[in-house]
This record gives sequence, C-alpha cells and structure tokens, in this order.
Amino acid sequence: MRETYKIDHQLQLVNAIKDNDSLALKTFYTSNYRKVELLVLKNSGSEAHAKDVYQEAFISMWNNIRNGAFEPKNDSALQGYLYTIAKNKWMDILRSKRFKVTQSISEERQLFLTHEETIEDDGYTTKLNIVMEAFQGLGQPCKELLKTFYFEKKSLRDIAAKLDIGEHSVRNKKYRCMEKLRNIAIASK
Amino acid sequence: MKNNSDISQELLETIEQYYSNTMPEQERKAFELRLENEPQFNSLVEDIKTLILGIENQSLKEQLDTFHQDIPETTSSSSSGFFSLRKLAAVAIIILTVSGFWWLSTPQHERLYSSYFKPDPGLPTTMSNTSNFEFYDAMVDYKQGHYTTAISKWEALSQKSDTINYFIGVAHLANKNEMKAIPFIEKALENKTFAFADDAYYYLALAYLKNGQIELAKEYLQKSSVKNGKSILLQLE
Repeated sequence: MRETYKIDHQLQLVNAIKDNDSLALKTFYTSNYRKVELLVLKNSGSEAHAKDVYQEAFISMWNNIRNGAFEPKNDSALQGYLYTIAKNKWMDILRSKRFKVTQSISEERQLFLTHEETIEDDGYTTKLNIVMEAFQGLGQPCKELLKTFYFEKKSLRDIAAKLDIGEHSVRNKKYRCMEKLRNIAIASK
Repeated sequence: MKNNSDISQELLETIEQYYSNTMPEQERKAFELRLENEPQFNSLVEDIKTLILGIENQSLKEQLDTFHQDIPETTSSSSSGFFSLRKLAAVAIIILTVSGFWWLSTPQHERLYSSYFKPDPGLPTTMSNTSNFEFYDAMVDYKQGHYTTAISKWEALSQKSDTINYFIGVAHLANKNEMKAIPFIEKALENKTFAFADDAYYYLALAYLKNGQIELAKEYLQKSSVKNGKSILLQLE
C-alpha cells in the first residue's frame, strides 16, 4: 500500500516535469542541488563546475523523461537518477586529459558545453544544439511567444488574451516565428 | 536540417498535434502510415520535432539559472566558513525579503493580531491546591507552552466549568487554531457572571481578528476593558 503510494508520488512528479510545470521543476531543481555540489567540491571541483555539471545532468534527465528512457520504480528513483547522471558527468570530466593538463576554467567550461551524454546519435545532438543556439539568438518577441507556447504550454487563447490581440494573429505570429527559427537553423548548418 | 520545401501553417499544426499526443486516433494512424512510407515527409516531421525540442531545451536551460539563485543556503556543506561575509549578507537579504514579503502579503488584521496576541498567562499553580489536581496539572502544561497536551487533559475532565472552556479556547488560540478557539470562548461567555469575562471578550475579539471577521472583532473589543483592546480598536477604525 505504502509502496504504491510512493510510486504514485514519483509518477506525479515525473508527469509534472514532463509537462514543464514550473513549480515542480523549480522545487526539484533546488532541492537536489546541494548533494551534487558536495560531490563536486569534494572531488577537486569548484562551485562553477558543480553548477554546470548539475544543469547538464538536469537537462539530460528532463530529455530522458520526455523520450521515455526513464521510468520511476521506487520512491527516490528520480532523485537518484539525477544524482547518478551528474556523478557520471563529473567523473568523465575528471578522467578527461584536458582537465588534468590545464586548470583553466574557461577551457573546462568549454568542455562541459560540448560534452553530451545522451542516448541519441551525434548527428541528432548536433542538430538539437544548432536549434538551441538559433533559438537563443532569436528576437525577443518571437522567443517569448515560442517559449510560452511550446515550453510553458499555454493555449493560443491564453496568449492572445495576455498580449491583447486576436487569437488568429497569435496563430500567424507563431507560424512566422517558427519559420524564422527554422531558417536561422538551416542557415547556420 | 534540410530546406526541403516550405512547411505550411497547417502542416506545422498537424505535427504539433501529433507531438503533443492530441491527435484523434484515426488521424494518427493515417499520419503514422505516411511517416513510414514517405521518407521526405518523415524527415520534415523530424525537423519540426527537433525545432520544438530545441525551443524547450533552450527555455529550460535559461530557466535553470533563475532557479539556481533560489537554492536555499545550507550551513553544513561549506568550506569557506559559516560566518563568511557573503553568506551573512545572503542570509540578511533572505530575512529582509521574507519579512518584507510577510509585511506586504499579510492582511492588516493578521498583522495587528500578531503584534497584540500574547497567550493568557494562566492561573497560579500552587502545590497546596489538590482538590482539582487534573485542572492544575493541565495548567502547568499550558504555561509551558504545551497547548495540545493541556487541551487534551482539560477535554478529558468530566465537569467542564466556564473557566475550563475559556482556557481550552485560549489554548487553541495560542496553538494558532482560532476556528477551534471561538466556540469554547463563546461557551464560557454564556455565563453572564463569568469571572474572566473581560479577558474572554478580548481573546474572542482577537480570534475573530485573526479570522478576518473585523466587525465581530470590533464588537467584542468594545465589551472588554483590557487596555490593549482599546488601542486595537483605534487601529481598526
């Protein structure tokens, strides 16, 4: 009975994260950081390392929830999962030659940014990174609109009400923004 | 990502539907059949999926930095020492923010309540008085701040005087449970010659004040001659 409840709770958490529920994401993010930080600090890393490694791990975890690679099995499954990803990432960094040879922070950080631990093939990861970069540099109005619609999963009607324009124009705007993003991504290939 | 023909608005929305699992069953089957048989269509759909996933990934990434600023400070894990200036400053900011937030977010009546509420000091408990041991035993708990224990001991008594009802009420109030406090205090006040009527009206008013029923609070404050009651009344006007 109790076990069932715990797994239910995990399922709720996993579903909330899948839906990009802002509160669930934030709570989960803030309550699991310190453990990872402690691990990195005790293993010749800095606070900046800890933050990078944790954020990388968090995004990997999120993607693996999304694509179904992660299924909760017990009460602390997701917490443990996040910690394990972060730990593996940090171990990889420690093992890497560049970390041993140079202690320059910028270079280490560069390593984080290019280092991806995902189950997808490299071609896909590259594509995703191109889109992410393109989206990062997209104009603010488009960026905001696409973020609200695709990430926060607000309805066109809600967005229209917030921007005080017609639902139809939001729909058109969204389409044009997607085209813009797609063209930048294609061009930067 | 290939520039394989333009994507129409309609196609984009169809793919969105597919991606968010909101496509009707039949349509879905037809869509999946097309994905299987038309490689070019398939890669178009994959591209759009990548776009959406990219938007989500980047949005999340940008949000994480905001989250990061709100990670609670811990006292145990630091190597830089607990009393470092930076930490103290951070703690001070947190305290200021929290109290500022409390000040802004707490309705005026709650603030008034918090600044005036002090539990009734209770009755003197002398060892010589053994005739009513249970009552005074609970009074000791009450005075030590063990309100829940005091309440359950008083509630176990078979004979409930007005005094007992009154103290159960103020114990509930001290326990931040004004809803439970009100009926007990009102019960005590049913006795028109109740010895602690003055205090009872005052605490009853405070309970209503906490509860947000300002008019009732005013009414009972007027019936009480407790000094603080008058100044609360002035602030409520």
